[in-house]
Amino acid sequence: MLVLLGIRWLAPASLTEWMTDPARDFVTLTISVIIESLPFVFLGIVLSSLVQVWLPEGFLLRRLPKNPALRRLSISLLGVLLPVCECGNVPLSRGLIMSGLTVADSMTFLFAAPILNPITIITTYQAFGWNDGILVSRIVGGLLIANLVGWIFSRHPQPEKLLTPGFQEACAIDAAAPRTGRLRRTFLQFSSETSAMMPALFIGAGIAGLIQVAVSRNILIALGSNPLWSVLALMLLAFVVAICSNVDAFFILSFGSTFLPGGIVAFLVFGPMIDVKMLALLRTTFTAKTLVQVSILIAMCAATLGLAVNYVL
Amino acid sequence: MSFSRLVSRWQGLALSLVGVVATVWLGFAGQLGLYIHPRYSVFTLIMAGIAVVLIVGAFAVVPSADDEHEHEHGHDHGPEHDGHGHGPEAHGDQHGHPVAHDALVNRNAPGPGRPRRSRRFWMLAGTAASLAVVAAAVATLLVVPPSTLTSSTVEQRSINSSSATLGSTSAQAASTTDDTSAYTVKNWSLLMRQGVGLDYFAGRAASVTGFVTPDADDPDNVFFIARFVVTCCAVDAQPVGVAVYQPGWQSSYPVDSWVSVDGTFGADPSVLSTASIVLQPDRISAIDQPSDPYVY
Repeated sequence: MLVLLGIRWLAPASLTEWMTDPARDFVTLTISVIIESLPFVFLGIVLSSLVQVWLPEGFLLRRLPKNPALRRLSISLLGVLLPVCECGNVPLSRGLIMSGLTVADSMTFLFAAPILNPITIITTYQAFGWNDGILVSRIVGGLLIANLVGWIFSRHPQPEKLLTPGFQEACAIDAAAPRTGRLRRTFLQFSSETSAMMPALFIGAGIAGLIQVAVSRNILIALGSNPLWSVLALMLLAFVVAICSNVDAFFILSFGSTFLPGGIVAFLVFGPMIDVKMLALLRTTFTAKTLVQVSILIAMCAATLGLAVNYVL
Repeated sequence: MSFSRLVSRWQGLALSLVGVVATVWLGFAGQLGLYIHPRYSVFTLIMAGIAVVLIVGAFAVVPSADDEHEHEHGHDHGPEHDGHGHGPEAHGDQHGHPVAHDALVNRNAPGPGRPRRSRRFWMLAGTAASLAVVAAAVATLLVVPPSTLTSSTVEQRSINSSSATLGSTSAQAASTTDDTSAYTVKNWSLLMRQGVGLDYFAGRAASVTGFVTPDADDPDNVFFIARFVVTCCAVDAQPVGVAVYQPGWQSSYPVDSWVSVDGTFGADPSVLSTASIVLQPDRISAIDQPSDPYVY
């Protein structure tokens, strides 16, 4: 730690003068994504070890209804109790799978919790109030899509095939691990979860920063007032900016007057579920094939929802 | 223990440590605001504090878990397993339970036909990639000096294109209480965005601070004195600015340098520029970048 502080201390201030402006902005944006997401990832890991290590075994799972549809519905509402945004959700979902939740159910949690959590709901309300049904569409749409994804993947004949071999291995080891020494297990889990999450977060942040510098935002914004294109452009924007669900409502509010409500709803529903950084984080747990399927499914649902808001409401 | 396992074991903790040290240092240097909105500073620093405790704990515990593993490792992998080697996927196995481990090693094992050399190559490639990520993290988070966004991002996001954030403050700005002495670049540009016209602005004095960025249509005569509005973090920064009419400005004020301008508003004499109202400067003075470069 002292060495790292020393590096920081000694690094000359003039070091970046040779860099071009876009390169400097790429670095700044990447750091910004990391600094913003890091506390949420830590929070997710802490909550995950709370569920796995400190709560009595099966504490949460035993209380869930037996009926699959009802169970998924209650799991999607679990986000109200565990207020993490999407980046913290990945370690938490991994923890839930390890403590015995099925893969499909954990997907429901993964995609519902970032939207159905108190912080997100409050910030969305602060940003939009009841205007244009944006808040209601976001909550109901997010709930429906997450449950749909959970239902579809619950029909998968071999759910463990959806997971990466590395994560399956971690699960098997966790199941076989002795249930002693809680503090020690918390530390060990922190070590293994950061090993999985941190490289993904850093790489995801780098890609997000790169796209920000490379893709002109003006083009996306120019498309904002067309009922069809606003939905697609804003979903692309959501994918690219990779911003936390807790604050994305404020972000999109700054464009509020240029975009139609359907586009905003699509942004607010799609962004928390799938974006550049999320895919990097999810790749630690799910196979690439699964992620492609899930992304396409969610993108189609979010687009449908956005178009419905634009054309029907 | 092989080098690649050592790397994969410590990579997460190393990256966490880099992130936490960078966060805490920025916090103490008062520069966290360059990357995130101040309202998240406390939360960010608290989580960094918790992470420090967990990292220190993990540093204490992980080596002994490795010893355990090494111990079991001896009888776990008999000669019949030797062909499997240790792939990069073997990183999660602190507990090293023999049954689970065997089952998984078998499942992940390469087919008998797969040559050992390519497996070794991928293992080395994985290790190199891990080290590269750690090195890149150290370089970006700890070596590169913290900085704000530049005019290149202004170009990307086009100045004053958003209706500039936050309904509450726009209401404030619109209530044209005639005390405009504390108005920032953001307040003025909001007023213009709301369609307040020249009859309000003409002859009104203003004193604003920001960085210099050229007008896209008439870069010779007009520059913007600009700030970024941040709602969450630098990723969502939106440039806002006030146009300043000063032919030949580029010889005295470099792009991205910080200036403070006193002047009065008036109609834009430039025919090329799309700004209709500009600040005609009485005095432009170069200043240092303020400690809090963004506006909220």
